[in-house]
Amino acid sequence: MRLLIVEDDAPLASGLCRILEAEGHAVDVTSRGEAAVAAAAQERFDLVILDIGLPQMDGFEVLRRLRAAQKDNGGPVPVLVLTARDAVDDRVRGLDLGADDYMVKPFAMPELTARVRALLRRSQAHHGPRVVHGPLVLDMVARRAFLKNEPLELAAREWAVLEVLLAKVEKIVSKEAIIQAVAGWGDDLSPNAIEVYVSRLRSKLEPAGVRIRTVRGFGYMLEEYKDLQGLQG
Amino acid sequence: MLLPPIAAVLALGAIVAYYPSIEPATEAYDQALVDVGVSLGAYIRSTGSGYRFELPPAVEQVLRRDRADTLYYRVISPGGQEIGGDESLPAPPPEFATSEGLVSYDAVLRGAPVRVVSVEAPCGRSTCTVLVAETTTKRSRLAREILIGSLFPELLIAAATLVIVWFGVKRGLAPLARLSEEIKARSPVDLRPIEAEGPEETRPLVSALNGLLAEVAQASRSQQRFLADAAHQLRTPLAGLQAHTELALAQPLPEPCRLQIEQVHESTIRTARLANQLLALARAEPGARGEAVELDLKAIAGAEAEAWVRGALARDIDLGFELEAASVDGDAFLLREAMSNLVHNAIEYSHRGGRVTVRTGRRNGHAYLEVEDDGPGIAPQERARVLERFYRVPGTPGTGSGLGLAIVREIAASHAASMFLDDGAAGGCRVGITFPHG
Repeated sequence: MRLLIVEDDAPLASGLCRILEAEGHAVDVTSRGEAAVAAAAQERFDLVILDIGLPQMDGFEVLRRLRAAQKDNGGPVPVLVLTARDAVDDRVRGLDLGADDYMVKPFAMPELTARVRALLRRSQAHHGPRVVHGPLVLDMVARRAFLKNEPLELAAREWAVLEVLLAKVEKIVSKEAIIQAVAGWGDDLSPNAIEVYVSRLRSKLEPAGVRIRTVRGFGYMLEEYKDLQGLQG
Repeated sequence: MLLPPIAAVLALGAIVAYYPSIEPATEAYDQALVDVGVSLGAYIRSTGSGYRFELPPAVEQVLRRDRADTLYYRVISPGGQEIGGDESLPAPPPEFATSEGLVSYDAVLRGAPVRVVSVEAPCGRSTCTVLVAETTTKRSRLAREILIGSLFPELLIAAATLVIVWFGVKRGLAPLARLSEEIKARSPVDLRPIEAEGPEETRPLVSALNGLLAEVAQASRSQQRFLADAAHQLRTPLAGLQAHTELALAQPLPEPCRLQIEQVHESTIRTARLANQLLALARAEPGARGEAVELDLKAIAGAEAEAWVRGALARDIDLGFELEAASVDGDAFLLREAMSNLVHNAIEYSHRGGRVTVRTGRRNGHAYLEVEDDGPGIAPQERARVLERFYRVPGTPGTGSGLGLAIVREIAASHAASMFLDDGAAGGCRVGITFPHG
């Protein structure tokens, strides 16, 4: 994947660059907002990691221009905003302008790489017909699921719940959000019904190492798939 | 305060009213005495050897008829001989010797004050002197009556003036009283201008106060900007430091080197947290807070849940939520920081596999937030001290700065809310904030 990092702090930029290159991405780095806008106009990036506190043209302006330009430039580029500010309105402003996610500095690198993977997966889900999560593959067009290359039977609502969770791997999804996303087939869904679907999904997916964590009293989180045969787990 | 000057004006008024009215009265009484003197003069007989004064008993009786005062007289011949009446009646003082017309003066006769007039009575070719005196009972009574008569209306006027002035002053000062009530009732963090209603007189004061408030607010805003910039300046290099230590730790390293880099990494994370906490403390100071807005504690907790859960997973702690809507007026950053500190503390000081629950909602009409854990708890004798800045319970493991609960307390105080620290239902503790009615 092609990634663009827009960060004026050289040590942080080089650190991010090395970490993401280690993940197998092609990474470009710039410290200027103007250069980032120009680069995005010429080339198609799969993800932009954008610092808000840039000299001259700040991150908000870069984001605004990226979003204004994207209409005649294919689909929207996912943008992960980095901010050192914590005023709540800064975050809201970032998300209002169309940032897909944000992280407050400083942050742990595993969290950054997880968010990057989630954003890349989400943008592919918008374009591609297949969503892959470890051994789990969802064919969005045929609406068929496969686990370890075997067909997986999913009821319509189980499919819907899984789709919501897959769109936000490593993020907590509240029961209310699941109900909102799944509702629309007429009858009301209770939080208890969601629990039933999740528990059915668990019994089908957990044997293959795909884990859905319960956040007590709040919702669920589809954990990032960790290949237990790999290093350190 | 107004009483002494009003009493002085009253006394002056009484004097001014008394003298003009007592004078004609005195003159009238003197004239009556003169008439008596003239009448008495008619009874002087000139004989060859001198003068004689004979008063018929009937006239004598008429003279004695006055019940209130006693009348005295003395008749003196042109040669200075006593020819009748009371010889002890004092003669006119020397200054009257040459004066013309009515001679009247005050004297004392047998220990009592008397008013005396001297009348020239023609007798033959010469003139005799008739002195007529009268005790002053009637005159004193009249003087008293005049004095009372003039004082009474004055007292009424004075009383009325006092009442009018009192009401007037009270009414006039009412806007000032309202203004000082408004200022007194203000929270120290409220720097909005004062509503400038009220009369013309208070407007310069209000606008001066508003000018001062605006300057303080301006200073507070630039402090805010400074803090935000300082946080930015600090966090970005910390993020770089963290990135590189984590990169280094992802590589195979010789053991002593790995331990050292792990220490660096831990210090980096602690420094970042400390920077956040100091920022929160500074922002909770009166005057530094942003304008209070209506917020839902449930929404704030929900928005942070993910970051907290990540921290809890790292320590294998079951972090749960019991969130009910609870609206409060406050600063979102500070309330988020308060909750984050409580959650962080609970996670930090719980044993692995422990259970931590975040709650928001309403209890007895008060919005509240709280975090309960089943960790070791805080001994009752330590509870007051853990709220102090930088205090840590002796022997506590972990890497806390000792700022967490102090921050929560200050944030509670800046929201006029109260912090509580109780035993948890399953051991451990239950720490939170109860908000005032709103």
